[in-house]
Amino acid sequence: MINLLLSVADDKLFLGHRNSDWTGIAPILEADIAFSSLAQDDIAHASTIYELISTINGKDVDQIAFGRTAEEYLCASIVTTSDSFNWAAAIARQFYCNHFDYIRLQRLGKCSWEPLASLAKRLTAEQAIHVGHVSSWVVHLGTGNEDSTTRMQEALDAYAPLGAMLFEKPDGFDVLVSEGILTQPDDFYATWKLVLDEVASSAGLSLNLEQIPDDFNGGRTGHHDEDFSASLAELHEVFSEDPSASW
Amino acid sequence: MTHDIFDVLQSIPDPEMPISILDLGLIEEVEILHTSVRITVLPTFVGCIALPMIAEEIKTKVGELENVETVEVDFIYDPPWSTDRITEKGKSDLASYGITVPDGASSVCTTHAIGVELKTSAISCPWCDSRDTTLTSPFGPTRCRSIHFCSACRQPFERMKKV
Repeated sequence: MINLLLSVADDKLFLGHRNSDWTGIAPILEADIAFSSLAQDDIAHASTIYELISTINGKDVDQIAFGRTAEEYLCASIVTTSDSFNWAAAIARQFYCNHFDYIRLQRLGKCSWEPLASLAKRLTAEQAIHVGHVSSWVVHLGTGNEDSTTRMQEALDAYAPLGAMLFEKPDGFDVLVSEGILTQPDDFYATWKLVLDEVASSAGLSLNLEQIPDDFNGGRTGHHDEDFSASLAELHEVFSEDPSASW
Repeated sequence: MTHDIFDVLQSIPDPEMPISILDLGLIEEVEILHTSVRITVLPTFVGCIALPMIAEEIKTKVGELENVETVEVDFIYDPPWSTDRITEKGKSDLASYGITVPDGASSVCTTHAIGVELKTSAISCPWCDSRDTTLTSPFGPTRCRSIHFCSACRQPFERMKKV
């Protein structure tokens, strides 16, 4: 259970951190406020999940969030991949992640462990706003001018392999399913793809998604890339000055 | 004593809006055991940054009451807070500040396979009541508010997000 919760919370912590990169420099004021709000939402969501983990393992919430080594973080690679301050890339990353998270939270809302189910239901309602917002941006860029359409399509293509990696299962996931704590609908990936396709095609964009193999080893099992190391170093910068400081 | 506690809660404003936390529908339960008070609060949004301030304010103000020795504040997410919990007085307080509250009558566009609200329209303007309004951005000055524009009176306004 802890691995599953860490994978959810770590995705949100790092995506929120990445989104906060846009504070002050997003293309328009509303987008700037939106990305800052998205960052705030994601980090707040992560912190409530870390609090839930703390009720299981008794560890300090800040230690859970910031006191782990690289391989103990279980986020997928896409949340730490740099967008190089390319707006279309930021939207593409957000598009794959937000829809994935929305469907994942819906499913966690049905889990048999009540504390997680009730929190997940609440988070799903907030995540719906993220999904709607990012989808409208994809449509906006896809139906803009030639330049915006090309950039949006390139970004969707570039992030497609990383998007598929969101579906890597954390260790112990199958046990949760076999014990009946979590339901495992076969159509999780198909639902995600269907929804993304619907939004993308409405804007004349295409998706080149390919499902990852079952034996894929990536971020969810602690195998991270250079972008992750850079993100983690940035995230740890203040915390490591004084790990015992009170926030 | 219950009456006094509710009076105190009525006097505590939300840190981000000119509305009492009682009218905002945050208070789920008040339990009194001798001189101990336990107040259960429903956050509007998960992990809202105003929560520690709200807890502190409740502890201080309720703690000043006679016969109260300890005050405990618990935040829970089940039942979830919703805009339906805002009282009529609360709605009018928010409207005078340019914030409207979902009334259930607004149309929701669900063109999406998973039924997510992509665009909202037909939300009435808190200034002139016109429904000729558009959503500017789902993200406003706080996490629980969105930004809108009224084409009739040409004024921006905000709305409590429907969650």
